[in-house]
Amino acid sequence: MNNKLKSLKNFERELSIAAGIVLMTIIFSLINPIFISWSNIKDIIDQATIYGLMGLGMSFAIISGGIDLSAGSILALVAVILAKMLAAGVSPIIAILVAIAFSAVLGLINGVIVTKMRIQPFIATMATMSLFRGIAYLITGGFPITSMPSAYRKLVYGSIALDMRSSVLILFAFAVITHIILKYTKTGNYIYAVGGNEDAANLSGVKCVLNRNIAYIICAIGSALAGIVLLAKLGTAEPTAGNGYELQAIAAVAIGGASMAGGRGTIIGTFLGAIMLTGLKVGLIVIGVDPFWQYIATGLVIVIAVYVEIVQSNIKNSQSGKKGLFRTGKS
Amino acid sequence: MANDNYIEFKHVSKSFPGCKALDDVSFTIRKGEIHALLGENGAGKSTLLNILHGVFQPTEGEVFIDGEKVNFNLAYDAIKYGIVKVHQEVNMVADMTVAQNIMLGSEPKKHGLLDWKKMNRQAQELLDKVQADMKPTDKIRSLSVGQMQVLQIAKALFLDAKIVSFDEPTASLSSRETEILFNIMHEMQDKGITILYVSHRLDEVFKMTQRATVLRDGKYINTFNTQDMTKEELIRSMVGRDVSMFARRMKPRCVQSDDTVLEVKNLSVNNIFENINFKLNKGEILGFYGLVGAKRTDVMRAIFGADKISDGEIAINGKKVNNSSPAVAISNGVGLIPENRKTEGFIREFSNSDNIALPALDHFKTRGLQDFGKKKKNGIKYADMVNLKPRDPDFKTFDLSGGNQQKVVLAKWLSTQVDIMIFDEPTKGIDVGAKAEIYALMEQLVNEGKSIIMVSSELPEVIGLSDRMLVMNAGKIVAEIDSSDFDENRIVTYALGGEVHE
Repeated sequence: MNNKLKSLKNFERELSIAAGIVLMTIIFSLINPIFISWSNIKDIIDQATIYGLMGLGMSFAIISGGIDLSAGSILALVAVILAKMLAAGVSPIIAILVAIAFSAVLGLINGVIVTKMRIQPFIATMATMSLFRGIAYLITGGFPITSMPSAYRKLVYGSIALDMRSSVLILFAFAVITHIILKYTKTGNYIYAVGGNEDAANLSGVKCVLNRNIAYIICAIGSALAGIVLLAKLGTAEPTAGNGYELQAIAAVAIGGASMAGGRGTIIGTFLGAIMLTGLKVGLIVIGVDPFWQYIATGLVIVIAVYVEIVQSNIKNSQSGKKGLFRTGKS
Repeated sequence: MANDNYIEFKHVSKSFPGCKALDDVSFTIRKGEIHALLGENGAGKSTLLNILHGVFQPTEGEVFIDGEKVNFNLAYDAIKYGIVKVHQEVNMVADMTVAQNIMLGSEPKKHGLLDWKKMNRQAQELLDKVQADMKPTDKIRSLSVGQMQVLQIAKALFLDAKIVSFDEPTASLSSRETEILFNIMHEMQDKGITILYVSHRLDEVFKMTQRATVLRDGKYINTFNTQDMTKEELIRSMVGRDVSMFARRMKPRCVQSDDTVLEVKNLSVNNIFENINFKLNKGEILGFYGLVGAKRTDVMRAIFGADKISDGEIAINGKKVNNSSPAVAISNGVGLIPENRKTEGFIREFSNSDNIALPALDHFKTRGLQDFGKKKKNGIKYADMVNLKPRDPDFKTFDLSGGNQQKVVLAKWLSTQVDIMIFDEPTKGIDVGAKAEIYALMEQLVNEGKSIIMVSSELPEVIGLSDRMLVMNAGKIVAEIDSSDFDENRIVTYALGGEVHE
């Protein structure tokens, strides 16, 4: 019993987002029952796929103590390159694998600028945000690449059971893989350690540079997967694709309980964060609110979600304060 | 009479959820005295100061100053009243200048704009008063910890403080800086400023203070004239038990001098230290003594692979190694317990078991994945070995007391099973009881065949525990002394860069 309570306590954050989602669902459904219809839920999951994939990747960058503002540009650049390959007749599977490998290089570029050139992540990835986007424009000449082969679109965005899209499988697969990496591998532990305290991690034998690079690579792969899905969904690759999506991804991570200072956050949290963000947007449309309100609602939800987290951790702190004997004299 | 009861704590209690940090504390502080607050970590000293400084409000009881009941709701109120603190955790704006930081919040203005000239001139006057070797235009970032403390004092003077509290002021100061600090304290006292002084260094307490109050577990124990007390009596009232044997070897020495586990040859790091040569034998506690700035920590970081070496060789068990990073050094069997526990010793967000497991995650795998159960078991095993309180493996290391945090760092290296352990200032800022436990653990380790390098600035500690001692001065080893020849004066003379004539 005690152990069960304890393990529930470890998921406090996730539970409170889930509660938020339930609350949101109840409110929207009361106003318009269509919100809980399967077609609408399906729609939310579908829309959450893109932000979700990016957010899952972004979790790695943020937990490692960084951030990746170039995520949206990576999405566009990968989509453009992939579209070029597909248009040239490369088989979809190979093209996708090449695209993912290519995104890993982009992630590594971010990582190297941050770890080797020691430029702050915010500035470094702001620079590559512009750089990658520029390359996407150069490659396309500013025009969309259209008419993707139907074999590709079927593979990535075809119908599967329950009228869902196959892209959902990509989202879930990526969520499971990233969850395992972060929670159950050495690399994941190290990414938390580096983000939590790089000096201490280094002195404990953690290869900080390597692990920060891995975090940026996984982050870029998340964006690439989002690009792959978006390309299949729209059937065209535009150099402007994914503009500003990085902020949505960061928002999902923040709602999910990650600390922007690094060292804290979970995949489940980010996943729920992405669902909540998307559910909110769709819900506002379903109940017929002016779309402009979406922005306001998104902003408010971020503030509320992060504030709830602060309150929660304050409560936790004052609880651990009761074990005052073990605290430092500074308490 | 009013002067005798200048500050008066009357039945002050402070409860945090589930814990009584202060329990019915009553005593008085005389005007213009230097009054020490003593007690182990967690005894309630900081809570008491925080009440005086308006950071906390007492749950019960009252505080009177100059016969008048005071009730500060904010730290700002206390500062306005003239109660200022000079603390270790320096809260200053790193990218602003010395003058800006002194005047922060009450900057001189001219026509509604900042009057830089006046600001810098006033700052210079204050800096002169405290003999600070810095300019009003220096950036805080460029100052040493010692300079920052002096700057805090200047700020206290600027604020026209009536009461100033010092919390472990000398912990990071060189002896010269300490001397200056003490002079300033005496000058402040001459001006009638009342000083509260918290320190673990009892020598300083005897030297500087007129009276001292001892707290233990949140309770008031006694107040006495420091002149009338001996060190042993004082320690006994702090810990409630006899620790007179502390910092002393309890077991027979166990050095195997024919078995060199670590040999350092001509080790240099450009512009930091040069030509460091020494051997560490199996089962030995090798002390590294020196004053602040002797570069002992830098030598240790270089051996541990945390800093790049520019020249020299390191051999472990007779085999030349290239410790290019801490990861490599650890795989070669070296562990480092760093000086700055909070910033370098552990990960703040991690639980005890995660911190203990971190350097050797490969040991905690099941079918290729990390196994939390194994980590927790390991966490409990080593927590028990170092007598960690609480032993709960899920407890966040950050929430522990300094002494227990240090035990977690120690447990980390025990769990990693390194053979050579470098302790850098292992008892800095931790309480008497935990100190004694750490010493006992060190002894136990060498008895089990590990070898220890202990860097310390506390002479009694190095003398009491080392089998052999190397003294450093300005990046060089200036003396090697065997435990049979330990002599305080001699060691300090070497550390100061002087010659010893025999």
